[in-house]
Amino acid sequence: MARDDAERGPVPAAGAGIFTVDDEIGRELALVDWRATPLGPPEEWPQSLQTAVSILLSSRFSMWMAWGPELTFFCNAAYRRDTLGRKYPWALGRPASEVWAEIWGDIGPRIHAVLDTGRATWDEALLLFLERAGYPEETYHTFSYSPLRDDDGAVVGMLCVVSEETDRVVGERRMATLRDLGSDPSVVRTEQEMLAFACRQLGQNPQDLPFTITYLFDDEGGARLAEATGIPAGHPAAPIVLPADDPHPVWPLAALAQGESELVALDGAPFTGLPAGHWNEPPTQALVVPLLQQGGGPYGFLVAALNRYRPLDDGYRGFVELAAGHVAAGISSARSYQAQQRRAEELAELDRAKTVFFSNISHEFRTPLTLIMGPVQELRGALADASPQVRQDLEVIHRNGLRLGKLVNTLLDFSRLEAGRMQARYEPVDLAAVTAELASVFRSAIDKAGLEFVVDCPPLAEPVHLDRSMWEKVVLNLLSNALKFTFEGSVGISVREHDGHAVVTVTDTGIGIPAEELPRLFERFHRIESARSRSHEGSGIGLALVQELVGLHGGTIAADSVEDEGTTFTVRLPFGAAHLPPDSIIAPGAAETVTAGADPYVQEALRWLPEDDGVAQPAAEVPAGAGLPAPDGGAAARVLIADDNSDMREYLVRLLRGAGYHATAVGDGLEALDAVRADAPDLVVSDVMMPRLDGLALVSALRSDPRTAGVPVLLLSARAGQEDSIEGLEAGADDYLVKPFSAAELLARARANVELARMRNHHTRWRTAMIDSLQEAFFVTDETGAVIEVNSAFTDILGYGPEDLPYAAEHPWWPDVNADPQAHALVAEAFERMMREGRGSNVVPVTHRDGHQVWITFTFNAVTDPDTGRRRVVGTMRDVTAEHYLVQRESALAALSMRVSQAVNLTDALAGGLEALQEVWRARQVLAAVWNDGRPRGLARAPAGGDWPDLPEELREKLAALRDQPPLRPVAPGADGAGITLEHPEGLLTVWVDLSQNRPFTSEDQTLLALLAGHLGQGLHRVHQLDQQREAAVALQRAILGPSELPDGFAVRYEPAGRPLEVGGDWYDIVPLSGGRIGIVVGDCVGRGLEAAAVMGQLRSACRALLLQDAGPAQVFTALDRFAALIPGAKCTTAFCGVLDTATGELVYSSAGHPPGILAHADGSTQLLEGGRAAPLAVPMGRPRPEARCTMPPRSTLLVYTDGLVERRRRPLTVGIDEASAAVQAGCAAPIEALASEVMASLTPDGGFSDDVALLLYRQPAPLEVAFPAESSQLAPVRAALRDWLSRCQLAPAQMQNVLVAAGEACANAIEHGHRDAPGRTIRLRAVATGSGLHLTVTDTGRWKIPEPEANPHRGRGVALMRALMNEVSIHPGAAGTTVDLQTRISR
Amino acid sequence: MTAPLTVVASQRPDGTLVLACVGEIDMSNAGALEEALAGADGGGTVLVDLSAVEYLDSAGLTVLFSHVERIRLVANPLIEPVLTISGLAELTTVEGLTDDKGEDVGQ
Repeated sequence: MARDDAERGPVPAAGAGIFTVDDEIGRELALVDWRATPLGPPEEWPQSLQTAVSILLSSRFSMWMAWGPELTFFCNAAYRRDTLGRKYPWALGRPASEVWAEIWGDIGPRIHAVLDTGRATWDEALLLFLERAGYPEETYHTFSYSPLRDDDGAVVGMLCVVSEETDRVVGERRMATLRDLGSDPSVVRTEQEMLAFACRQLGQNPQDLPFTITYLFDDEGGARLAEATGIPAGHPAAPIVLPADDPHPVWPLAALAQGESELVALDGAPFTGLPAGHWNEPPTQALVVPLLQQGGGPYGFLVAALNRYRPLDDGYRGFVELAAGHVAAGISSARSYQAQQRRAEELAELDRAKTVFFSNISHEFRTPLTLIMGPVQELRGALADASPQVRQDLEVIHRNGLRLGKLVNTLLDFSRLEAGRMQARYEPVDLAAVTAELASVFRSAIDKAGLEFVVDCPPLAEPVHLDRSMWEKVVLNLLSNALKFTFEGSVGISVREHDGHAVVTVTDTGIGIPAEELPRLFERFHRIESARSRSHEGSGIGLALVQELVGLHGGTIAADSVEDEGTTFTVRLPFGAAHLPPDSIIAPGAAETVTAGADPYVQEALRWLPEDDGVAQPAAEVPAGAGLPAPDGGAAARVLIADDNSDMREYLVRLLRGAGYHATAVGDGLEALDAVRADAPDLVVSDVMMPRLDGLALVSALRSDPRTAGVPVLLLSARAGQEDSIEGLEAGADDYLVKPFSAAELLARARANVELARMRNHHTRWRTAMIDSLQEAFFVTDETGAVIEVNSAFTDILGYGPEDLPYAAEHPWWPDVNADPQAHALVAEAFERMMREGRGSNVVPVTHRDGHQVWITFTFNAVTDPDTGRRRVVGTMRDVTAEHYLVQRESALAALSMRVSQAVNLTDALAGGLEALQEVWRARQVLAAVWNDGRPRGLARAPAGGDWPDLPEELREKLAALRDQPPLRPVAPGADGAGITLEHPEGLLTVWVDLSQNRPFTSEDQTLLALLAGHLGQGLHRVHQLDQQREAAVALQRAILGPSELPDGFAVRYEPAGRPLEVGGDWYDIVPLSGGRIGIVVGDCVGRGLEAAAVMGQLRSACRALLLQDAGPAQVFTALDRFAALIPGAKCTTAFCGVLDTATGELVYSSAGHPPGILAHADGSTQLLEGGRAAPLAVPMGRPRPEARCTMPPRSTLLVYTDGLVERRRRPLTVGIDEASAAVQAGCAAPIEALASEVMASLTPDGGFSDDVALLLYRQPAPLEVAFPAESSQLAPVRAALRDWLSRCQLAPAQMQNVLVAAGEACANAIEHGHRDAPGRTIRLRAVATGSGLHLTVTDTGRWKIPEPEANPHRGRGVALMRALMNEVSIHPGAAGTTVDLQTRISR
Repeated sequence: MTAPLTVVASQRPDGTLVLACVGEIDMSNAGALEEALAGADGGGTVLVDLSAVEYLDSAGLTVLFSHVERIRLVANPLIEPVLTISGLAELTTVEGLTDDKGEDVGQ
């Protein structure tokens, strides 16, 4: 096709124009002196090279290519950036072997393999030492070399698509080391164990750490060797001791002691003979980094020898520092573990001493308490006008003095009871009055609680003997108890007489007591764990004491309770004094005032109730006082206090604020939990005993939530038992403090815990930083598969950050099940594997938060959380989208190339190419239109079907719009598809990929489309060239094969073996000669295809020329022998040549090594023409060419053929010849043309002929054909000609006469009736002989009514004659004329 | 060119008028035969001798049919089938070349 593309506009001009695809590289490429390269000036570059360069430059993937004999180097911008380094732009246009001389040993063989075999190569993460930055550099590349073909399809270059993976490979290696360093915290017991473990891990990376040496500073300022890897003991670079006073230490001690890193060149004396680690050459530099200690001088330092093949960049430096940080953290953790051990032992000792002390001297409390309470009482009076703060302090002292006194008294009461030293004094009293009086002191507290207080104490008939102070304790304890557990309703007390006893009942409508607890209600120190109470203050001895006291009075106490309804305590006291020891009975008379003993109870009860004095609950936060330093010099630490005792709350708040903390307070565990969850403080100080949620439950709740698990908790409790503290620590509390405690002790513990937590947080932060520094995405899932931790690389890859954790399965990055069910199934399967197998790796497509698709490789491993014992899966994830598309691209290219190469013509090739595109994108359809002169010249579609007018308007517009695009630039205007324009041999081709769903057509997709379109374009041009070749071949064949117009009586067939070419080495020829003679030639050149055809054409022409010079067959072959000797490939051609006299049937023939002709006689016998045989052409034989003669009897049939017709593997030729003979005989009754088809059909083997086949058939005599004007005078000469022909058919005289008359009648009718109105028109008579009969037709051009004999006897007579004389007569009237068919059989 | 046909009229010794035809009779020259027959008006039977006729088709037969009442035919084996098929042989006497043959067909 002529390339008249000039008027089509956007086609880039050949030559330097192609460089404009990319500004940056193109400019440099344009500057190359291409004339000096084997490629020559770009204007002369073949289309294929232009296309390749265009694809290369337009791709955003890193690529280079080599073209031509010297493998001239090209690359694109991405390659320049990623790989070429300093070699740019020097490398452009140079031989590839020069550009990559240093790795030519690695890549040269691969490139030559591509050029030799045409097959692409594939290498993953291949290590290559590139010298692109001035030194040999350890680099890794994943790349593919694929062949590039020129316009003729020959491989003349190669394209390399490469992604450099150095960062990934090196990063993974370093990551593995860091991961191993942190892999087994359980070994962290002693410092030595930890160092040994860490150094084992460092030693496993001899690439990045050829050797390492770890020193720890000693007390004198020197350093001592702790561990070393990769370097033998005793090497001068690793002395055991580095003395502080050494003026030239091997390693820079002074800088390291200051916490500074230093880069040390490894030359000079101590550094000779250093080990090389993984490499061949020893390291040239070492990075020496301090092992930093939080808040102190470094522990020591780490010497890390550096990989000489990698630059010391931020990543490398960071890696060494992280490794050192890990060693330092290990040392820190080992040392702090030892410190904690020591402190735990000290605390246990302290506890033991305190217990002994307390039990020994608690009775001594009363004296100091009295001395406190007395003056306080006085001060309260004296300082009535003092500042509120002073008064508040006094009130606190007073209230807590009272409470302490009460507790001490109760304890002492017990010890007295135990010892039997309780001195009771019973006096007869009015029980109702005394009880009502005691009750009245509680009224204010009960009223304040919003409860009804029912006092029902009618006077009793007789007095009851009571110890007043004891009774006071009984009543106050019971009322206090009722108030504590009653939140609405009433509290009641009543006095009655019943069954000879005084009965006092205290009732409430409180929470009640569970039935199972009732039996133990009065046990000493037994506390009922109730869901709700006003306070958890209490010793658990109140009711036990009450029971003891009632018992002393000879009475009983019983409790009756229904949960959630209330409780009733019933005290029964006997009247009289008979049950009491006589010596303890005294006369009536008041001894103590009620209020003195009641005050502690009332004050205590009042403190349970809501404040109304303005103390906020929780306390308002106030800034730390100026000049009070925060615990670690940073922001003030925040402390949350949880205690149900408001005095304690206020006390702790004041204490901690005074020490510079931000302190806030809440009243119980639930509030504390809410507050911590809302904003985690640095420390929680919590009482153990609290309503709603106690301290232990609070710790458990905090620890079970990952967000709050790290918040340190200091528990406070009045219970000093060792079991209690263990319980608290087991629940996860960080520390435990027993009341009473000193302010200093509390502050010391708070400070220690905050610092420890900050260090721990530092640890956590370091861990987070390390995980975040991973180039690979990192995640942790729980046992349900919910993702509970991710790092920043994870967020980078998927767009999902830690703020929305946890991500429950199905995770939000799973592909949409409706939009992409296949991808969804892949991910679901991988997820199922991860949960089931717990270890493995998968590659799956996922959806980034912004919607684009990402291919990831994720590797996972199940682990057990050492703290909780729960199953976790830890995984890393890598974005392999580029690799995925690389593979996809390669396979798509292969598929496309295969489709196009299998095509037999341009249409097929385009259809195949579109199908390949459709498969790559699983597109609904792919459409392509060829444009010429602005109009669509054809539409191709995958799947096939439809034409331009059938297309929806929308798609037609899309295809039309693409015409304005420059070639090979993908266009993806929406989410519904993408288009591209490329050159088609017949015009401009616009292709539209109609996607089946709305999904983004990514830049990778666009690159792929450009690449595939480029290949498709090249493929189409190649196929087009093949088409043209084929057309030329067919034209040639027509020119050199036999004549297309055959003389009558002949039929020929030609069947070339080599498809799609339709010519071969076989031929036939029929040459009309003078005197009714005809030359017959059938020949067979050696070989097949175009080459054989060329030889054949020459021989055929020569043969024909010789025949036309009246040469006989022997003469012809003799001349051809000489001629064939001059033509390469003509030797050994076999041929049959005969000259036939059609009048007589005489055949003179000669055979040059050719299979014998077959002569089938009309009588059913067969004769082989075996005479006249000699060697094939140009084979010397030393004798003249022979000739043979035979005469074809009338109605006999001659078959001449080439051996392809009869030759079969593993079968003698004679069998085939017999088959052919039988086939000719079988078809002797058929016309010659039909016979040819029958012979071919019956001899074609299954699967077709494997060799060229030519055959020629002739039947004697040739048909008679006479045309004459419609005049009766013509009848006689026609009859004479027919008579002559019939005689050659060897008919009996009678039958000949019958045929003559019948034919004469037909002709007469044609003259008389057919041309009645137009005399002189032409009538045709044709007579054909077959082996068994004759067939005559008379055709005129007029209308010819079938005569009716009855109506016209004369006219009907002719037709009757015909019918009587012939076997079959049929008359076919038609608009154009009438044909009469006459047939008669000839008996043998 | 018309087909070659010669018609010679003669009279046998017994007075029978004889028309001897030599050649071929077809559409182009049947008219000549018709003229000869029409002219041979001897009042008796005319003997049409076709023994030297090589070809006779329906045009000749039609002429013969039109005079079938007053002719007798002498035929040869070549044209005999035509005479038989056309039914002419049934309407008139046909004699063979030989006397005994003529008796066979002359019934």
